Formats: sequence, structure tokens, C-alpha cells
Amino acid sequence: MNWLRRLIHHRADEIHEEIECHLEMRAAMNAEMGMPPAEARSRARRAFGNAALIEEDVRRIHALPWLGSVAQDIGYALRCFGRSPGFTLAAVLTMALGIGAATAVFSVVDRILFRALPYPDAGRLVSVGMLAPAADTNEFLPVEAYLMFRRRQTPFVRMASFAFTSGCDLTETNPVRLRCTQVDADYLTTFGIRPIVGRNFTPGEDVPGGPKVALMTYGLWMSRFAGDRGIIGRTLAVDGQPITVIGVLPRDFELFNLSPTDLLVPAVLLPNQSGRVVRAFGRLKPGVTAGQARAALAPLFEESRRAMWAPFRSGASLVVRPLRDRQVWTVRATSWTLAIAVALVLLLACANVANLLLARAAGRRREMAVRQALGASRARLARQTLTESLLLALGGALAGCSLAWALLRFFIAIAPDGITRLDQASLDARVLAFAAAISMAAGLFFGLAPALQAETNVRAAGLVRHGLITAQIAGSMVLLTGAGLLLRTLWSLERVPLGMDTERVVAAHFVLSRGYTPARSTAFFDQLEPRLNRMPGAAAAAISDSLPPYGGIMATPYSLLNVEGRPRLPEGAGGMAGYRTITPGYFAVLGIPILRGRGFRQQDRAPGAAAIVLGEALAKRLFPHEDPIGKRMFQSPDGAWHTVVGVAADVRNNGLTAPQSLEYYLAANHSLGNAAYVLVRSPLDPQAVAKMLRTQIAGLDASLPVDVQTLRERVGKLTETPRFSAFLLSGFAGAGLILAAIGIYGVIAFQVNQRAREIGVRTALGATPSDVAKLFLWDVGRWTGAGLVLGLAASLAAQRLIATLLVVARGNGRWTFVAAAAILSGVALAASYIPSRRAARIDPARTLRTE
Amino acid sequence: MASSLERTLDLLILKTLHGGAHHGFGITVPIQSVSEGLVRVEEGSLYPALDRLERAKLVKAKWQTTPNGRRARVYSFTAAGRKRLGAAEESWTALARGVGKVLRFAS
Repeated sequence: MNWLRRLIHHRADEIHEEIECHLEMRAAMNAEMGMPPAEARSRARRAFGNAALIEEDVRRIHALPWLGSVAQDIGYALRCFGRSPGFTLAAVLTMALGIGAATAVFSVVDRILFRALPYPDAGRLVSVGMLAPAADTNEFLPVEAYLMFRRRQTPFVRMASFAFTSGCDLTETNPVRLRCTQVDADYLTTFGIRPIVGRNFTPGEDVPGGPKVALMTYGLWMSRFAGDRGIIGRTLAVDGQPITVIGVLPRDFELFNLSPTDLLVPAVLLPNQSGRVVRAFGRLKPGVTAGQARAALAPLFEESRRAMWAPFRSGASLVVRPLRDRQVWTVRATSWTLAIAVALVLLLACANVANLLLARAAGRRREMAVRQALGASRARLARQTLTESLLLALGGALAGCSLAWALLRFFIAIAPDGITRLDQASLDARVLAFAAAISMAAGLFFGLAPALQAETNVRAAGLVRHGLITAQIAGSMVLLTGAGLLLRTLWSLERVPLGMDTERVVAAHFVLSRGYTPARSTAFFDQLEPRLNRMPGAAAAAISDSLPPYGGIMATPYSLLNVEGRPRLPEGAGGMAGYRTITPGYFAVLGIPILRGRGFRQQDRAPGAAAIVLGEALAKRLFPHEDPIGKRMFQSPDGAWHTVVGVAADVRNNGLTAPQSLEYYLAANHSLGNAAYVLVRSPLDPQAVAKMLRTQIAGLDASLPVDVQTLRERVGKLTETPRFSAFLLSGFAGAGLILAAIGIYGVIAFQVNQRAREIGVRTALGATPSDVAKLFLWDVGRWTGAGLVLGLAASLAAQRLIATLLVVARGNGRWTFVAAAAILSGVALAASYIPSRRAARIDPARTLRTE
Repeated sequence: MASSLERTLDLLILKTLHGGAHHGFGITVPIQSVSEGLVRVEEGSLYPALDRLERAKLVKAKWQTTPNGRRARVYSFTAAGRKRLGAAEESWTALARGVGKVLRFAS
């Protein structure tokens, strides 16, 4: 405050010195004229007039008037807070809780929902493609369709495509596995990205036989080449091929799907590459909306659909959506839910502080009256209370930001992988500005009530207080039901039967490097299998190309699964059926029961054996009234049939929420290509098994990166995101409940104090303690009831939002609402019980005497 | 709007400074002698006036050491102050002349 003091008092101190100087000069002159010193001095003073008054005049002008009185307000408010530390601490902590939670959540959802993507004019970037539920959860375009779209589209300035990101090996001294991304030459231009060094691709570089060139990411440039600008024009050996580096991407470059990458290489796209798909993007022309673009592309889509593979054709639809939606769709609902939940917590906190301030204002009515009598204007008094509220909000904001910092660390620590952009969340200037803004808004919000109420009547104040309680109960109700619904869903999700036994199974996943020739990978798998079977403590081992319960299952159109002696199904009928290629141990390792026939044996793996095991659902669909064992089906293009040898129980394949899909199994011959899962069931400690598995694989290829996890962990990942949301929402609901309880307690306690005299009279006139307690409980009951009704209505609306969070929110959650209402009523009664009891025990003699 | 007394005092101060820079006490003496006691003001009222002029940027002030070794705040004209003085003198002369004519006519 020293600088403030100096600012205000600088000129004023000068005037003091100046006046002193004047007086001395006049006195000296008087003395020269022959007066005695004392008289000379007093005459000087008399001639000057009232020095103190003049000094004060000048001082008042210079102490910026508003600054002066604001400083006065602040000083006064701080003294008041100092006198009631309990109140101050409660208010600041409540605000800190609200602001801290809101800020932490904002720092996370801001990146997801609001902050601009790191592309210029990113609002005009859209993802374009067809959505075929059978194929992928995101839109894509077959290469042929993309090329046609690009040639004939009208709504975009330009279109671009991304083919895929895959592993590639930098085969130089010090070889390293990199991630290479194939994009077409227009990708960077469309996104508005410019290389910081070197140049972009040119149109001649994504055609067949074009020069082999690559753009390097900033990260790779720094880590491997120490930011050397001489890298431009240098030739790297990638997968044994020479590739010339033509540029370096900016530091903040990110792919549309945020996946990490090291090199961008041109994708060569040709119309005859049937079966190949790309992700396509467009930059909208100015003024064109995504909806208009979709309409403009519809005829092209219809045309390309006709040429499409039949199984896709029926369900496919055209999608044109903003890039942000493409990126964050899966976490959008979560983000909104958390944002709304935390806004509710903040409102509850504000309501609490407003109630505290109201109670305090009632206690200070006398003080305010005195100040008004001494000449303070109503506006001035209102400003004083507002200053106090803002100071409380400021204190809350400071404490809240520290809390937010801790909470954010905590969120990041407990969050599951794959929450988009969570790792980027931090308390930067934008987030702090948000915290400051909500604190100001909160301060104004909860300060307004007492500021206006300073004059209005007691009844209105009581109404406001009770209204706040009602609002708190309603808000808590929404939070509680939301958390309850999420928890219920989570509970049911974790009990979805998987159709397999995940206990004591360890899974390892690896992708062989590109250096593996087919012969070498066959040799690799041939050696791996006996090694697994010899592993000490392994009860069963298997290799497969994919694993339940999610991700990466291969699929064929159902219509190709023809049965011998029956007419072929029409092309495209019946959707898709998934299949896995497995070794014989698979069913034993995963504990999947064989319902009929048998599982695979070694002889089923011989070339030409062609055995097939059907999943139960598929078997029922193909052979509804007959025994499938021994039937011949699924003719290969060369005319050979597969023989059904067994039927296995169904296993969850599409995560926990999607409907069960059809599935069959093929016996692996000796190579599984370049990627596989290894499964081991063992009674030993999973960590030890994981270590042994690594050793076995390293014994074959020491440089092969292996991803090992227990099957339990893998299944647990499915419920991580709902668990995360449920956990956070429960936390907020808990905070809301505590706030509501404190609010009710505060209001009732205050009322008991206010009405002590009335209670005394009642008791004196014969009211029993229970009559008195009932008086207050009835009061709380009414307002809580109103809050519950309001909360119920709001919860029903919120339930829809929650339902988008998770596909299953089974049933209508009636019991969740009942439970939430019961909990809240209980808390409200408990919170009002203590002060009500105190009221009941008021000694009439003593209260009446104090008056 | 400043009162006519304030304006008169401002004009007197500016006129005094026309003769050269002065400290506060140094301004008081000439005002009292020049106006021959016709304008009697408390010496103190000079300071709010000086402060007002300073804030209006008509005068500027600087702490200096007087010949007899005392620290004093010395005031001088600014360009704006000079202009204001010219304008004020003119309007004052015009007013005085006008008032003079009216008085003569009336008599």
C-alpha cells in the first residue's frame, strides 16, 4: 500500500513544506521589521489564515477522490473481516472451493470446447466423408470418391486428405522406429500450415513415380538433428528407401486426430486403388456453412455410393462437420457435463456466501443506521457492502487458483488415456482471466443481495434467504442425481458379462518391423509358439490377431458366409461378421466355453484343412434349426469350403455398450502377418508372467517393442472414462451437498439467533421444546421440499445430457431420484437439527431479560 | 465554474509571474504592493490558487534553493499560462472599458 500512499500524499506533503516555507519567510521579514521572534511568527500565521484548512483542501483535491474513498472502503472492510475471522474464513474457503473447481474444470474443457485450434481460420475447416456404421466410428472416403469429390466439389477453397500414420524405420546408423504419415500434397495448404524451414509439398510430388520427399516435425528435427537447418535437401534412408527432406513443420503442428507423428510423406492416390480409404478435409469458402457444403456434396455422394462396396452402401451417410467436432466428439458430452456440474457447485458456493453476507448484514443493521445518520449516502453504504463482497471474491479467487492448480494436477493424474487435449491443460493467462472474471461475477452476484437489502424490509430478506436455500437444494439435487445415474451406469457396465475369464491372463502385443519378410515372420511365429508353450507356469498360451473386448477385429460381409447347398445371400445383406485368426490354445486361455463340437486342433492349421469355429450368435443365425457341426460353408474364391468344427460361446467384441456382434474363428496357419497378440494364462503373479513373456519375445527379437498388460487392465480401460466422469461428478455432488448443508445450518442458526426473543415468549407462554424445534424444521422442510421439486425437474432435463455421456443409462433411474431426494432431505434435516435444538433449549427468562 | 474572486486571483498570480519566476511568498508580496491593498486576500488562499493553476498546466513548479539557502517551490509560466494571461488581460480591458463607458453614460 506504500505506493498508493505515495501517490495520494505526494503533493499534499509538498504543500505542507511549502506553507512552512512561506510562514518562515514572512516571519523572517517581520523580524527584519523589528518584531520580536515570537510575535513575528504569530503574525505570519495570522496573515496566512488557516494553514491546516488550506492544506486539507489541496490534499483532498490530490487524493483522487474515488481512489481515496475506495481505499477507505477497503480498509474498513479489511478491519471488519479482521473482527470476524470465522465468517471471513468460511466465506473465503467456500468461494475458493467454487472458484477452484470451476477454474480447474475450465482449464480442461476450454481446450476441448472453446479454444481455437492451432490452424488459421480454423472455423472454416471441416471433415468430409461418409459414415458407415459397419466400418468405422468416424467418417472416411474411399480414394476413388475422394478424388471425384476433390475434382468436382464447389463449397471448398480446397480439399485435402490424410491416408494413415504407420511405423517406419529410419535405417541409418543408429536406426530408430519413427511414425510416418501419408497426406496428399494439399494437406498443409488446406490447414493453413507453413513449414518453418524449407518448403511445402508441390503438386508434382503426390503422383506415382514422383520424387521421394518428406517434411519433418519440429520434435524430430530437434531431437535427432539438433535443429540443423542444413537438413533441408538431405537424404534419409526410411525403410531402406532414400527420401529427401524438404521442410520442417512448425512447433505447434498437430495432425487433425492429434496422433503423434515424425515424418509427413506424400500419399499417392489413384482412382483404381479400390478398398483404400482416406480421411478427407475441406476449407469452406467464406460464408459457406458445413450444412450448405453437405447439401452441395450430396449429389456427388449419391454418385459415389453407387460404386461402393455393397455391405457399406445401405447404412452409409454423408457427413460434413467442423474439425473440432471430429476431434473432440467423444469427450464433448463429458466436457459439457463437467462444466455444468462445476457451474452448479460455483452457484451453490455463491448462494452460501450470499446467505452468510445476508445474515451478517442483518446483524449490522444498527451499524449501517448509525453510518447513515452520520451522513453516509445509501449509495455509499451499498458500495461498502459491495466492496466487501468483491474482496471476499478476490480472496476466494486467490485461494481458488491454488486449489485449481492442485485439482488440475489431480485430474491429469487420475484421468484415463485418450481424453483429448487433457495433457495440454494448464493454468495459463486465459484460464486465470476466466478465474478473475467468474470471481468478479460471483462477488457481484452474492454481494448484490445484501447491498440492496440494506434498506429493504426484513420479510424480503427472509424470502431471499429461503429462496437461496431452495436453489441450493435444487442444485444439489441435480448434482446428486447426475452422479447417481453415472455411478449406476458404471456399476452395470462393470457387470456386463464378457463371455470370457479375464483373471490371470496376460496379453502381449507387438508389431514386427517392416524389415520382416514373410519368410522371416513365419519363422518368428514358428519359434515363438514352442517358446510360449515351454514357459514355466503357463497353464495355456495362444496367439491371435486380435483380442476382445474391443478394437481391431477383422470383418467380412455376412453375405459371403454362404452355406453349402443353399443359394448365395444377396450381396450386402446382413451386415458384417467379425473374425479372429487364432492358435488352438485361444479358447482355453480365455476360458471361452465350446458349446458344441470342439475347438481347434493342431491339424486344423495344416494348409487346406480349413476348419471354422462359429460364435453362438452366428451359429444360431446361420443354422437356426440344425446342428452346424460338420456343415460346409464360407466358400473361398478358389472354391474350397470351410468345415464347421465347433460353436463357441459369444464374447463381447464391441466394447461394453454396443450390441453384440456376429463372430467366427479361423485357425492360424503359421504366420499372423506382422502384428499379433500373445496370451498366457498362468497361476503365477501377472508381473512375473509379463516379465517372462518379454524375455521370451526378446529372445527372438531384442529390438521389438512389446506392450504387455493383463487382460483385466485391458477390460478395465473400457470403463475408465465413465469411471473418471462418475468420480468427478460424485466429487462435485459431495461438495454441493456439503455446501447445501452448511447453507441450511447457517440460515437456521441465524434465524434462531434473530428469533430468540420470540422463542422466549413462546416458551414462556407454554410452547414445549418440541413445538419450538418443529417451528424451524417445518420451515426448512417447506423450502427443502420446494427445492426438491425444482431439482427434480432440472434433473430430468440433465438426465438427457447424462444419457449422451454413456450409451447405457439403463432404466429411467427412478430409484436414483428417490435416493437423491432422500439424501438431501436427510442432510437438510440434520443441518437444521442442531440449531433447532438450540432454539428449543432457549431459556425464556434469560432471553427476555437481555432485552 | 470558478468564482470571479478565484479568476481575479488567478489573473493576479499570472500577471505577477509575468515579471519572472517566484516562490509562493515571493508572489504574495507584489500582489499586495501592486494592488495597493485594494485586493486583500489571506496569504494562505494563494496556495489553492497556485495548485489550481498548476493542475490546469498554466504554471509549472520546481523545488529550488533560494539565495539564502532555503528550499522553496518556485513557480513560472507555461506557454499556456502566457496565452491565458494575454486573453484575460484583453477581456478584462474590454470589460473595464465597457463598464467605464456605461458608468460615464449613466452619469
